[in-house]
Amino acid sequence: MTELSVSTTVASHVPQVPLPEAPPKVTVRNLNFYYGEHHALKNINLTLGTNRVTAFIGPSGCGKSTLLRIFNRMYDLYPGQRAVGQLMLDQTNILDPKLDLNLLRARVGMVFQKPTPFPMTIYENIAFGIRLYEKISKSEMDDRVEKALRGGALWNEVKDKLNASGLSLSGGQQQRLCIARTVAVRPEVILFDEPCSALDPISTAKVEELIQELSEDYTIAIVTHNMQQAARVSDKTAFMYLGELIEFDDTNKIFTSPSDRRTQDYITGRFG
Amino acid sequence: MADMAVQSDVMEAAGPYDRAKALSAFKLGDLTFYWITRISAISVLLILGGIILSLIAGAWPAMKEYGFAFLWTQRWAPSADPPVLGALGPIYGTLITSVIAMMIAIPVGIGIAVFLTELCPQMLRRPIGIAIELLAGIPSIIYGMWGFFVLGPFLANTFQPFMIRIFEGVPVLGAVFAGPPSYLSLFNAALILAIMVLPFITAISVDVFKTVPPVLKEAAYGMGCTTWEVVRNVVIPYTRVGVIGGIMLALGRALGETMAVTFIIGNSFRISSSIFAPGTTISAAIASEFAESDGLHQSGLILLGLLLFVLTFFVLAGARLMLMRLEKKAGK
Repeated sequence: MTELSVSTTVASHVPQVPLPEAPPKVTVRNLNFYYGEHHALKNINLTLGTNRVTAFIGPSGCGKSTLLRIFNRMYDLYPGQRAVGQLMLDQTNILDPKLDLNLLRARVGMVFQKPTPFPMTIYENIAFGIRLYEKISKSEMDDRVEKALRGGALWNEVKDKLNASGLSLSGGQQQRLCIARTVAVRPEVILFDEPCSALDPISTAKVEELIQELSEDYTIAIVTHNMQQAARVSDKTAFMYLGELIEFDDTNKIFTSPSDRRTQDYITGRFG
Repeated sequence: MADMAVQSDVMEAAGPYDRAKALSAFKLGDLTFYWITRISAISVLLILGGIILSLIAGAWPAMKEYGFAFLWTQRWAPSADPPVLGALGPIYGTLITSVIAMMIAIPVGIGIAVFLTELCPQMLRRPIGIAIELLAGIPSIIYGMWGFFVLGPFLANTFQPFMIRIFEGVPVLGAVFAGPPSYLSLFNAALILAIMVLPFITAISVDVFKTVPPVLKEAAYGMGCTTWEVVRNVVIPYTRVGVIGGIMLALGRALGETMAVTFIIGNSFRISSSIFAPGTTISAAIASEFAESDGLHQSGLILLGLLLFVLTFFVLAGARLMLMRLEKKAGK
């Protein structure tokens, strides 16, 4: 009985008519990932549709975050981690060892589980990223910062204290600051790694709303442990288990009639 | 049933009694602990106050004799009658050697720390880290001898002529590097000091750099920052307080370092515009003259010691002030 009620609440959030298939922004083919000897991702194949939200769900340790960290080559910071296979962002091979990582990361932004404001003022937190790529005047910069903060649904709360430290904001505000900061660099893809797991329900609702708005302009990948969240914000959902992609389909279908037994068990709370 | 009732009676009688007794024993322990720690803390104040008082008492005759003129008199003639004593030379030498030492040690020390925490391959990390720790363990007299026999000749015969050739005729800088070659010089002492304080700056910087959350660095890399930009804009601002603490510790050491400096500075009270000329520092002056001093001369040396105390205090206070301003600027 309880299981049933869970799945009906989930289903009630799902848009009834799925969006039309979008052209792929990121294409993953036969991707394998290794932490030293450990084979963490096994033969992953999927695509992220342009201006669509793709959610990754699965129990802890199944490789969702690992996969996300390949999209911007974050794993490169750590020796002993390597990816094998093909990963295309439009026409660019992300796994190309000669690829300019700074440019890649300008195109693929990331928001982390914990809010990570830089140790500087709110204004500087936004301006910092813009300055990495563009030389613009002070007034232009003011415009860009305001636009980014509006984009992060934070402007009204911070417009009077732009010179306060980014660390002085509440957790939810910090997270929206990080989203604004990511958007300010004008990426093409935004990766969210459990963006709401450290936030209260109201902040979570704000961030989810923001993700929906952002999907009009950006291709979004989100890792989440919260299945209602995946159902609410995403167009497609990928269920991963033990380093494998078990099922990848329209969110609607995953949460109402999954084709794999394990997916069904997971979304109904039988394990995970 | 009756058995159980009896048993519970016994427990009720014994339970609260024992607990109260045990608690009172804890309380006594807590109280003792509180007083032991409190006395330890207070003893620091007492010792500090005692040292200052005895310094003032020892320096009193010289203070009465020379007054504030002691601070800006350059002449140091303890054997004249009456002795003429002025601290300008040692104060100048102390400040100049410390400033040059910090100018070298801060960038190099932080640079090493950045390399060790952000860039260094795992294999090299331990050997370099241990070498830095060993550098801190070398007795200062060894640095002094090395400065005297190795660094001094090199500076006098090779480095100084080179600098003179480059800066000849340049106003100010020309004078800074001019003068006859000398094994014993302010610059030699400053270099040795830089090497000596380097491990403090590096070790503390490494420790605080390690406290930067990896996810914060990832966030900066994730925006497309280069390693330099991450260090410059995230790692150092995040650890500012700790790094400056390390620098202050190093500066304190540089201001007060005695043995190595006495060996290589040349003990000249004359102020020269050239950093390759011999000079002296407060601690070197005290160390080299204290044994043969008496009367007003000795009192003058104690006054020098008091000045070093005050100087160090002001430098540390200034550093705190700077830190507070930095924090204000960062919007805290």
